Amino acid sequence: MRFGGLAAVNNVSVSVPRGEIRAIIGPNGAGKSTFFNCVTGVLRPTGGRVLLDGEDVAGLPPNRISRKGIARSYQITNILPGATVLENVRIAAQSRQHGWSLLSHHRAFGDLIDRARSVLEAVALREKEDELAANLSHGEQRNLEIGIALATEPRLLCLDEPTAGMSVTETHATVGLIRRIAHDVTILIVEHDMDVVMGLARTITVLHYGEVLAEGTPAEIQDNPRVQEVYLKT
Amino acid sequence: MIARRSPTAYWTGFAVVLALLAIAPLVLPEFWRRFVTEILIWGLLAMSSDILIGYTGMVSFGHSVFFGLGIYGAAAALLSVKPPNLWLALLYGLTAAGTAAVFVAYFSTRLRDIYFAITTLVFSQIFYVIIFTWTAVTGGENGLTFAQPLLSLPGLGAARFTPETLHWFVLGVVTVSYLLLRRITQSPFGMVLQSIRENEPRTRAIGYAVERYKIVAVMLSGLFAGLAGVLYAVQNKFAAPDFVFFAVSGEVVIFNVMGGMGTLVGPVAGAAFFLLLREGVSRYFTEYYLIPVGIIFTAMVIFMPQGLLGFAKRRLNE
Repeated sequence: MRFGGLAAVNNVSVSVPRGEIRAIIGPNGAGKSTFFNCVTGVLRPTGGRVLLDGEDVAGLPPNRISRKGIARSYQITNILPGATVLENVRIAAQSRQHGWSLLSHHRAFGDLIDRARSVLEAVALREKEDELAANLSHGEQRNLEIGIALATEPRLLCLDEPTAGMSVTETHATVGLIRRIAHDVTILIVEHDMDVVMGLARTITVLHYGEVLAEGTPAEIQDNPRVQEVYLKT
Repeated sequence: MIARRSPTAYWTGFAVVLALLAIAPLVLPEFWRRFVTEILIWGLLAMSSDILIGYTGMVSFGHSVFFGLGIYGAAAALLSVKPPNLWLALLYGLTAAGTAAVFVAYFSTRLRDIYFAITTLVFSQIFYVIIFTWTAVTGGENGLTFAQPLLSLPGLGAARFTPETLHWFVLGVVTVSYLLLRRITQSPFGMVLQSIRENEPRTRAIGYAVERYKIVAVMLSGLFAGLAGVLYAVQNKFAAPDFVFFAVSGEVVIFNVMGGMGTLVGPVAGAAFFLLLREGVSRYFTEYYLIPVGIIFTAMVIFMPQGLLGFAKRRLNE
């Protein structure tokens, strides 16, 4: 991916086996977010491919990417603040069906509400379903963020710093939550918190200046001298 | 987004207001009878724009186009077909407004926020100039006058409109439109529009083709605005380019802001308030009536930003 003369992400090849939790780490400006934006259709890559189960989805707009089965959460909380918690998730579940129904009440589609509630159950927000999303705590909004992504029933879930700004307790809870949902979906996670990454990921890819610096298990990455040099020591 | 209030209270309020509006022409003097009918028509126009302004978060300055084409479309039917037929006027008016809406929607919905507003305003002026200058067809500056059609109801025969039956006819159309619009705003489709208002990029990211939803929203909104135009044509028996002028669009936005956006009923209340205010004030200030109206409007925006309806709701809850 190039922005004018700057190659933000270059020659990065990451392949994630189905069912794995893969972490992408790297110092600020390493290209992690750009990489994410290419995968999820926010940016159209200037070269390269994004293969999802063998199908190239590179360059499709975000709504098409979503329908192909890639969902994402955002580094900066990105929810529907004026809607209830339930509606935030319900509208995401509705994106696959009934979206063009004009003359029936949205609450008439019980299947969508059931699915939304089971997602809220998974992200521990079931009790708060009638609250306005804007009134949730920061940590709860971060989890709602994951819930919205999950409700679209993705094959690949991309989490952009899911624990950003969370307290230690909240971080711990969210790590447990991600581990639970990982049973059903492949997860790609960008994270700054090393404890989170080391605890969750089976494989870690380290980006540096837009290129892959290293790839391996958490233990290998921790022992890699080049990684220590650019990242872990600072 | 999901306002859960007691349905019994809602339907009771609905029935009371409907009953009051239904008996209005029987008790009001001639001038005010006509005035209430007109408020209903402007209220429908305001409601139609609320779909965009309040529910989808797109401020349209082009509703005069759809309203005006509803009037001219009805005029075309009433002038060209003898004897003038009410339902044909409706068909022509809706077709004209709907066609314009498709056109405007296609070009304007790619843009957001102020760019959308400006584009709709530009379309409003384009249509104004076309209608103003194409004298052979539209009558130009002088507009068109035509005969009022008979009130023909299938199975009930036809009769001339009296002020009462005209009022009831308008009330019926506006009520059905309100119920339809209300249902649309609560439908899965309506929830997508509100999701777009809340967070457009997020709505796209969860899989919605946002542009298509916006196009349909503009078309629906335009159709109901056209319906208001047809009613206006039937009531007033003339069409004039002034109704296509963007000042009308501006007034529609004011109705929304005054009454409370995103409530459907609010814009109707806003229209009623604005028209009554203008009527009252212009009796004392004659040609300078816009100055006090403007001051009151500014004060309302500052002190009740939620509009009349939001203000009343908050008062009731306190």
